Amino acid sequence: MTDRSALPPEIRMGDDVSRAMAHLPRDEASEQIATHLRKFWEPRMREAIIQRVREGDDRVNPLLTSAVHDYLDGDIDREEVSEPSGG
Amino acid sequence: MTLQIDQPAGPIGAPPRQPSPGAAPGGAPYAPETDYGTPALAGPPDAAVTIDGRQVQVPAGTSVMRAAKEAGVDIPKLCATDSLKAFGSCRLCLVEVEGGKGTPASCTTPCSDGMVVRTDTEQVSDLRRSVMELYLSDHPTDCAGCARGSCEMQDLAQRTGVAEVRYGLPGSGGEASTATSAPTSSATAVPTLHTHVDGGAARDETNPYFDYDPQACIVCSRCVRACADTQGTFALTVTGRGFDSRIAPGPTDFFGSECVSCGACVQACPTDALTEKSVVSLGMPTRYVDTTCAYCGVGCSFRAEVRDEQTETGTSTTVVRMTPSKSGGANEGHSCVKGRFAYGYAQHADRQMHPMVRDSIDDDWRVVGWEEAISRAAAGFKAIQAEHGRGSIGAISSSRCTNEEVYVVQKMVRTAFGNNNIDTCARVCHSPTGYGLNQTFGTSAGTQDFASVEDTDLVLLIGANPTDAHPVFASRMKRVLRRGAGLIVADPRAIDLVRSPHVQAQHHLPLLPGSNVAFINAMAHTIVTEGLHDEEFLRERCEDVDRYLQFLMAEENSAEQTQRATGIPADQLRAAARAYAAAANASIYYGLGVTEHSQGSTMVMGMANLAMLTGNIGRPGVGVNPLRGQNNVQGSCDMGSFPHELPGYRHIALDAVRDIYESLWGVDLDPEPGLRIPNMFDAALGGSFKGLFVHGEDIAQSDPNLNHVRSALGSMDLVVVQDLFLNETAKFAHVFLPGSSFLEKDGTFTNAERRINRVRPVMPSAVGKDEWQVVCDITTALGYPMRYDNAAQIMDEIAATTPTFAGVSFARLDAEGSMQWPVNEKAPHGTPTMHVGEFVRGRGRLMPTVFVPTTETTNRRYPLILTTGRILSQYNVGAQTRRTPNSTWHPEDTLEIHPADAEPRGIRTGDRVELSSRVGATALHAVVSERMQPGVVYTTFHHPVTGANVVTTENSDWATNCPEYKVTAVQVGVANAGQPAADTSYELQGAGRS
Repeated sequence: MTDRSALPPEIRMGDDVSRAMAHLPRDEASEQIATHLRKFWEPRMREAIIQRVREGDDRVNPLLTSAVHDYLDGDIDREEVSEPSGG
Repeated sequence: MTLQIDQPAGPIGAPPRQPSPGAAPGGAPYAPETDYGTPALAGPPDAAVTIDGRQVQVPAGTSVMRAAKEAGVDIPKLCATDSLKAFGSCRLCLVEVEGGKGTPASCTTPCSDGMVVRTDTEQVSDLRRSVMELYLSDHPTDCAGCARGSCEMQDLAQRTGVAEVRYGLPGSGGEASTATSAPTSSATAVPTLHTHVDGGAARDETNPYFDYDPQACIVCSRCVRACADTQGTFALTVTGRGFDSRIAPGPTDFFGSECVSCGACVQACPTDALTEKSVVSLGMPTRYVDTTCAYCGVGCSFRAEVRDEQTETGTSTTVVRMTPSKSGGANEGHSCVKGRFAYGYAQHADRQMHPMVRDSIDDDWRVVGWEEAISRAAAGFKAIQAEHGRGSIGAISSSRCTNEEVYVVQKMVRTAFGNNNIDTCARVCHSPTGYGLNQTFGTSAGTQDFASVEDTDLVLLIGANPTDAHPVFASRMKRVLRRGAGLIVADPRAIDLVRSPHVQAQHHLPLLPGSNVAFINAMAHTIVTEGLHDEEFLRERCEDVDRYLQFLMAEENSAEQTQRATGIPADQLRAAARAYAAAANASIYYGLGVTEHSQGSTMVMGMANLAMLTGNIGRPGVGVNPLRGQNNVQGSCDMGSFPHELPGYRHIALDAVRDIYESLWGVDLDPEPGLRIPNMFDAALGGSFKGLFVHGEDIAQSDPNLNHVRSALGSMDLVVVQDLFLNETAKFAHVFLPGSSFLEKDGTFTNAERRINRVRPVMPSAVGKDEWQVVCDITTALGYPMRYDNAAQIMDEIAATTPTFAGVSFARLDAEGSMQWPVNEKAPHGTPTMHVGEFVRGRGRLMPTVFVPTTETTNRRYPLILTTGRILSQYNVGAQTRRTPNSTWHPEDTLEIHPADAEPRGIRTGDRVELSSRVGATALHAVVSERMQPGVVYTTFHHPVTGANVVTTENSDWATNCPEYKVTAVQVGVANAGQPAADTSYELQGAGRS
């Protein structure tokens, strides 16, 4: 069993989001993860995962890596960001 | 045995809405609530009835007794009360009906149009006197209740004009006694004259809250019927026959019985037989105030009944009792042990009354004045921001405080802190509800009101245990189940509702923890592949239908393919799915067994999908109903206590929404989401989050992976706690601000059915300031002047800025009693049922819900799964209930373990065991029980000494970070002698700490 408690939080939480979106076509999943980061992640957390991706941390879920690039490119679902979400 | 005529039970004691006297400032002089004798019937007032010359219009079928009361004629009664169906046994309520024979009981005689009734003829009066004489001949002449005014016998003796008890009073040897010997209390010592039960049953004082005195009992059986019909526990019975009949809680005393201390029997009792100990010791109340319970998400309405005494220093107010309001929209006159009796914590000796400060968490507290404490807090936050940046501080607001209080906390964060680092307790319970229902339906709350359950044909109960966690609603549900509604229980445990008196689930599906989404997908797959879905509803009212159906119909979602993951035999799951689909009105009720999972949000969407698939939305009797845990967790979410949303669930990134608040508040708002609670802890350990305001929460007990939480708190430079007590979190605080109990608050709570209820002050704040005033003072000291004259002004601001609250005000709530949001032009009196005709978002969105197994799996080292929950007598972290006699029932958290797991480990009930996970360990006593399934163990988290959350992990819902409390891989073994409870060792980490 992977000791997830040892993972940096941004990698662990990002992995959770990625696994939840993995059933979607890759481009759509990547956009949805990027949108989730924009909608719910505080800037420090986004900065932390961006830094991990830039460093090539191999613990980062590949789908999350793709999503970070989408985020940096502004490729997010802006309509979804503005939808009420609760939670 | 008396003839019992079934009358359809309708709204209990439901007079037309008008402001209650108890809603006035300070309440009203004490008077009991009007008792109409029998329940109200729904329907048009189509029967014109004349009673003693007075005309009244009532629905046909209404009892003559009730109609008389509505006409202003009070017919004497003993066995009838408007919370129960008519029983017709006491024979006091006799009347004459023109054209009819004899003298029927008015409680069991239905009204018909044109009926003419006389209640005061000579014959009726004679009969009534004779009956009353018989009752008095066996009633103690030293009845303290009569003297106190809590027994109806004395009043009835006078009203019926009993002048002589021809059969003698108890102890008179049968000699006739005069009316002056009717029950009174004498200041002089009078030997107690016992009734016929003399030498029989003694007074039962075993229950911590009320006594049962069989001497005073007239065996009217109101209590038995209340326990059966209102509460649904069936703990009481009538033993013996004829004159030897007496009430008994089974073959034991009250404490040892099945009684759940809801108080329904005490409420129903017309004599002193069942009386609150508080009434015995304090006397009857002199004043009452209408308010709302501060425990669970049912949000019961209560009358706080008090005595005011003038002392040298002013008025001293003591709560005598809390009685449930008949007009309460959520509870309709019923209550549970917590709201009814466990209010003593509000005046407990542990209450902190003064602000305190200290430089280090290792120092002793120093009592200071408000000004110094507030200055200390504000200066501390400012200093931290100056050194570490704007985002280095934040706040956690309470799900137990009022809407007005949590509103000003989030306003403080957004204005004075200048960030969005505000989060609330909903993070750890129903945040997935908010996410999931918003994604699918467009609004972040349940779809129905509690009354909706009356119209359901089948209940699908998932991951909830309402008899323990929402007992008053559970009683309502049980009534419907007893009338024949179907029940499917999806829960790893055999909760009480699986099988209890006169209730049995047709399907108990003991799914494995962590398999919820596989289960719900299999339910939906069965329904669609067998053609049981509502195609018309899907096409007319939903979107993404084809995409969803394509996902759903994959074989991997079948009952057969998911069986391994869920542990549910395919044929059983298919049978349950068919039952759900076949019901004319099927409803889903769920709790934290759904949300506190790594796929909590996904599961909520899955349930929403199921409801849409079968067209079970948009009318009474159906829907998706979250049983929200805390008294104001709904309200806290509504008020923008999330880091990414302003009030009304509007994202902080929306320019138009920020404009509203920026214009009103006069500051620029940060458009970026802030930190959630778990993120705050991570940032604290990372060194970038250094200050925290904790409002009415005990995160050092309630949040998961407690060692991590405590490390984070210990690493902060400033922790400010506002609370009633010095709780676990206060151990890490530098400033403590004493809070106000619900008895001192002026505001509103919003319950699980979106019902906004008033909370009214019964007494002034014991600490000299309202909590919202303290928050305003801190905000002002931080440089943003914030001032309100009263709590009503805060609600006015909420209403002015939040569309779903547009029509809400204290004045309107006083007039209406309560309202369910949205309250707006389209729904000026509120919205009991949502998504009627169309969803809030237009069309309901069907979301593919792929099952992604949790990463928390068992292995040889941790072969069992721990799930956690609550019990009836304790509440959450126990801060309130542990300070009441409720601890008599649950003095400690225990570990429930199946015999198949206990035996190999040599564990017996009562053994002290170690419970360990990969993050921590604790020790507690074991209870071997078959209520659990093999491989799954269960505990509660009500006692800090246990520290159950030492073992729960950092795993959380992917969308909301709601902790996965329900799935923790653990090992259980007999504890070593001397094994301490919670493993409280932790390293202080983070910058600047050693």
